[in-house]
Amino acid sequence: MGFDLLEPRTVAEAVELHARDGNAVFLAGGTALLILQRQGLPLPRRLISLRGIPGLDEITAGPGGGLRIGALATLRQVERHPLVVRRVPLLAEALRQVANVRVRHTATLGGNLAHGDYRLDPPAPLLVLGAQVRAVGIGGEREIALAAFFRGLFETALQPGEVVTELAIPPTPPSGGTYLKYALSSNDWPCVGAAALVALDDHGRCREVRLALTAVAAAPVLVRGLDELARGEPVSDRLAARLADIAAAQVEPVGDQRGSEWYKREMARVFARRALLAAARRAEAGPVGDGTKEPVA
Amino acid sequence: MADGRKQEFAVVGKSVPRVDGPPKVTGTPIYTVDMERPGMLHAAILRSTVPHGRIRRVDKSRAEQAEGVVLVVTGEDLKTMPGIDPYFGPAFRDQAILAIDKVRYIGDPIAAVVATRRELAYEALDLIDVEYEELPPVLDPVEAARPGSPLVHEQLRPAKAFADLAEIEPGKATNVCYHFKLRRGDVEQGFAQSAHVFEDWYYSPPAQHMMMEPHAALAWVDSDGVLTVITGSQSPSYVKGSLGAIFGLPQNKVRVMVPLVGGAYGGKLYDKLEPLASLLTFMARRPVKIQLTREEVFITITKHGVVSHVRTGVSQDGKILARKVEVYWDTGAYADIAPRVVHKSGYTSAGAYRVPNIWIDSYCVYTNKPPAGAFRGFGVPQVVWALESQMDMIAEKLGRDPLQFRLENVLLEGDLFATGTPVHSAGLKESLEAVAREIKWEPGVRKAVKPGTKSGVARAKGVACGIKAVITPSISGAIVVMNNDASVNVLTSTVEMGQGSDTALSQIAAEELGVRLQDVRVMHPDTAVTPYDTITAGSRSTYHMGNAIRLAAQEVKRQLFETASDRLEVDPDQLVARDGRIFVAEAPTRGLPIPEVFQARFGARGATLQGQAVFKTYAAPMDHETGQSEKVTEYWFPGATAAEVEVDLETGKVRVVKLVEACDVGRAINPHHCEQQIIGSALISLGQTLFEQMILENGELLNPTLLDYKVLTLKDVPESAVPIVIEVPHKDGPFGAKGVGETGTLSVSAAIGNAVYRATGVRVKELPITPEKVLRGLRAGQ
Ligand SMILES: Cc1cc2nc3c(=O)[nH]c(=O)nc-3n(C[C@H](O)[C@H](O)[C@H](O)COP(=O)(O)OP(=O)(O)OC[C@H]3O[C@@H](n4cnc5c(N)ncnc54)[C@H](O)[C@@H]3O)c2cc1C
Repeated sequence: MGFDLLEPRTVAEAVELHARDGNAVFLAGGTALLILQRQGLPLPRRLISLRGIPGLDEITAGPGGGLRIGALATLRQVERHPLVVRRVPLLAEALRQVANVRVRHTATLGGNLAHGDYRLDPPAPLLVLGAQVRAVGIGGEREIALAAFFRGLFETALQPGEVVTELAIPPTPPSGGTYLKYALSSNDWPCVGAAALVALDDHGRCREVRLALTAVAAAPVLVRGLDELARGEPVSDRLAARLADIAAAQVEPVGDQRGSEWYKREMARVFARRALLAAARRAEAGPVGDGTKEPVA
Repeated sequence: MADGRKQEFAVVGKSVPRVDGPPKVTGTPIYTVDMERPGMLHAAILRSTVPHGRIRRVDKSRAEQAEGVVLVVTGEDLKTMPGIDPYFGPAFRDQAILAIDKVRYIGDPIAAVVATRRELAYEALDLIDVEYEELPPVLDPVEAARPGSPLVHEQLRPAKAFADLAEIEPGKATNVCYHFKLRRGDVEQGFAQSAHVFEDWYYSPPAQHMMMEPHAALAWVDSDGVLTVITGSQSPSYVKGSLGAIFGLPQNKVRVMVPLVGGAYGGKLYDKLEPLASLLTFMARRPVKIQLTREEVFITITKHGVVSHVRTGVSQDGKILARKVEVYWDTGAYADIAPRVVHKSGYTSAGAYRVPNIWIDSYCVYTNKPPAGAFRGFGVPQVVWALESQMDMIAEKLGRDPLQFRLENVLLEGDLFATGTPVHSAGLKESLEAVAREIKWEPGVRKAVKPGTKSGVARAKGVACGIKAVITPSISGAIVVMNNDASVNVLTSTVEMGQGSDTALSQIAAEELGVRLQDVRVMHPDTAVTPYDTITAGSRSTYHMGNAIRLAAQEVKRQLFETASDRLEVDPDQLVARDGRIFVAEAPTRGLPIPEVFQARFGARGATLQGQAVFKTYAAPMDHETGQSEKVTEYWFPGATAAEVEVDLETGKVRVVKLVEACDVGRAINPHHCEQQIIGSALISLGQTLFEQMILENGELLNPTLLDYKVLTLKDVPESAVPIVIEVPHKDGPFGAKGVGETGTLSVSAAIGNAVYRATGVRVKELPITPEKVLRGLRAGQ
């Protein structure tokens, strides 16, 4: 239970410390690490805390309506930030449904992504928002599309010793979005989570449809091939159901205590459809995004 | 003792605020987990990683060298310790302080490390090497009950600690440590006469008490050689006796103190950490504290997983003619109090109805899993789940309204229970009618619901009822001390664990002595000072301790009246005590304030008057073969539930829109607190109905954390949750009171299961009612 806590002041220093001890582990909010420890995995002897690095938790406007979110921003900071609420209300809506307020005050967005658990909520909205991960390692800095970031169970594209420093969210087209979290009891992890973003053209037909699902495969799933079917079509129950079938075919659920493989696939279908319809209704009511009026928070 | 007529009370029957409320909400009470002693050491427990095995070797040498470690003890060491009998347990002495020779479940304590800091003790556990010779694990209770199954215990020693368990004798070479039998009438003939016979299996999974304060104990030996233990226990008197037996100490050399307890629900009864903490303090010669982590609480004690088979025969006109029930209680590695659970829920296994022909077999079965013991409701909820689910299935088949069907068959005053005991003060009908009124029950058979395709939601209501008996015989002692300023100390061994006993017992003492509520202080258990009490459990304290306090207070009053009658020159029986005065009933102005009575009697400051009483209940011994007894229990707790649910037909998820729970409490000493107990226990049951289950695989618990074991939270509470207090006074209860702590747990699961069925046509027979089970049922029905 005893451990050394290293507290670098810069990202470069953090990377350097890791290069010296490959067994060391980065510490952000510590909420995921603590769970692992309680489940019997011993904490590493050396923790490199990222919490003291100035500036890593900033949230700023990106070019053209996008956003930059520092990896050390807590889920609660992001959820409540006026820029987030205005520009990507979908993300704020999703974060509000994560765990409880005490966990959200401590857990960081970077930690959430780097953790790579298959049943986390934030990856789904961030996938439909087309987020980019910025990471710094011994070899320098690089950007990784979130869609290429999640590789498998607790497996991400991060190299050992790479630090997530920032998340960039590009401007979103005028659209409606929603995140539906289906949990068996309140305060639980999702059985299934579905994030949808729907952009409509002037005639109310689909211009673009994005959908991501969480907790239904070893890694969060960004559903492919929806636009081919949806583009130019009016939103209808039937269309949503067909899109949901496509989604259900792309998930590979791992049965867990929140649902068997069969049940999760069924729920992926149900919540994909519900999320698409809810997002479309929002798009009709008044889209959010680039070049449109921002809703009052 | 109860007065049949309605009578005006000063304190009893009033919803006074809790006496422990202000300190608790301001965070001032000190619980066992907060306790420290100078020089205190901490202990951690090494636990078995295999479900069943022989211990080949335990090597503690590396741990003994570790930083901060003072000593390491193993079961092997216990064998050679002079003067110690290392086995304990309230029904069978089947559990060793640390496993000797054999381990019986994943989590069985094998060794203990004592260190200067808690963290160091836990860290050193990793340095102990254990070699096992694994044995085939016994996992399924039904199979374990069959002859030829591998044995969890090769030998059993009955404990004889309690009168109601005195006759337990285990069979030889079996995992069935107790078999309860009830035979009444001719069950086969009953089935032969029946127009319909129903036969179903039901399951209720093992679950957690989820008390907020984990188990903890702090032990030390006083300078005068008294073994002293502070523990969050529901049974201090029992623990005193048990420690005396283990360590060969006279009872006055064992002192058990219990401060406020942060929740228990049956999970802190009998020996838990006290024997180990005591052993370690003797060895270390310093105070030793043990406090479990939540993960350890999960495997220390559980609510029984239960498999039931229910066969019921009914006549065409809706009379229950015969019932045959077979119940398997998965009690895990150690029996704890399970034989009593099996006995008491055993004889209620035919339900709350008039049934002429009954056959019950209830088996308490050892397996290689975490031990199961008492849980709020004491086994009855698991049985009611089965019985009351089937009642609705019968009603439907007969084309009857399920409420009406119940009302026609339910036990009424004077009817004979399955045990042949006449029923008294059992407001079953009243409870059923009350919940039906509140939920606006619409009579009728289930109409096949047309899934409202638009909303995708089906809605329906369900009812159920249940009955439980209080443990009998049992004993409560109380001492009431009145000070010369009319303030009062009540000495009892009743444990305040959140249920409100401090308040209810204060109300009873204040009423009897005619003083104000704030004049009374109920002292917490200290076995060196407070008298014997069987246990704080089974909804028995208000009745038993209430009666003991009432009798003891009457003794104080007798002495007050004695002195006052001299002064006032009237007969003592013309006097009453009220508002802090002793006065003539017919002439209230002729009287004396209590301090003046003391002045007259003693003429000394600081003088006290004492009264003491022991209240004991009796049961007529039960016939071993038939389970028949003229008086099986002192009183009954009947309760009923109505629930309205909404089921999402696409996901199977159940939302309870309204939950109504009515319980007959005899007389409400504190109506508001009764309501809180009723709804609190109903909500515990709601969580167990929808979410809770310990998931075990090969004896290993897969969800030993609150992340993965989901309990009800405030957000899951129905929009409307209505408690209803029913009062059918008991002739011998203090002011007519019975008990209320468990009644609300009995029938919630079945009421919800019935409502789900009425909404969807899906009958779930295995708790919890998960969305997936409902959806599978919906799909199968399509
Ligand atoms: C009670 C509870 C309930 C929860 N419920 C939910 C829920 O409903 N939905 C949900 O989505 N999540 C839930 N979570 C999970 C929670 O969201 C994650 O634990 C949290 O987001 C992780 O962030 P952290 O900052 O605490 O990470 P840490 O625990 O500090 O780190 C997690 C992992 O990421 C690595 N890491 C952290 N930061 C970086 C970085 N900047 N660069 C590289 N590697 C890094 C660490 O080395 C570690 O391996 C719950 C957690 C708890 C404790």
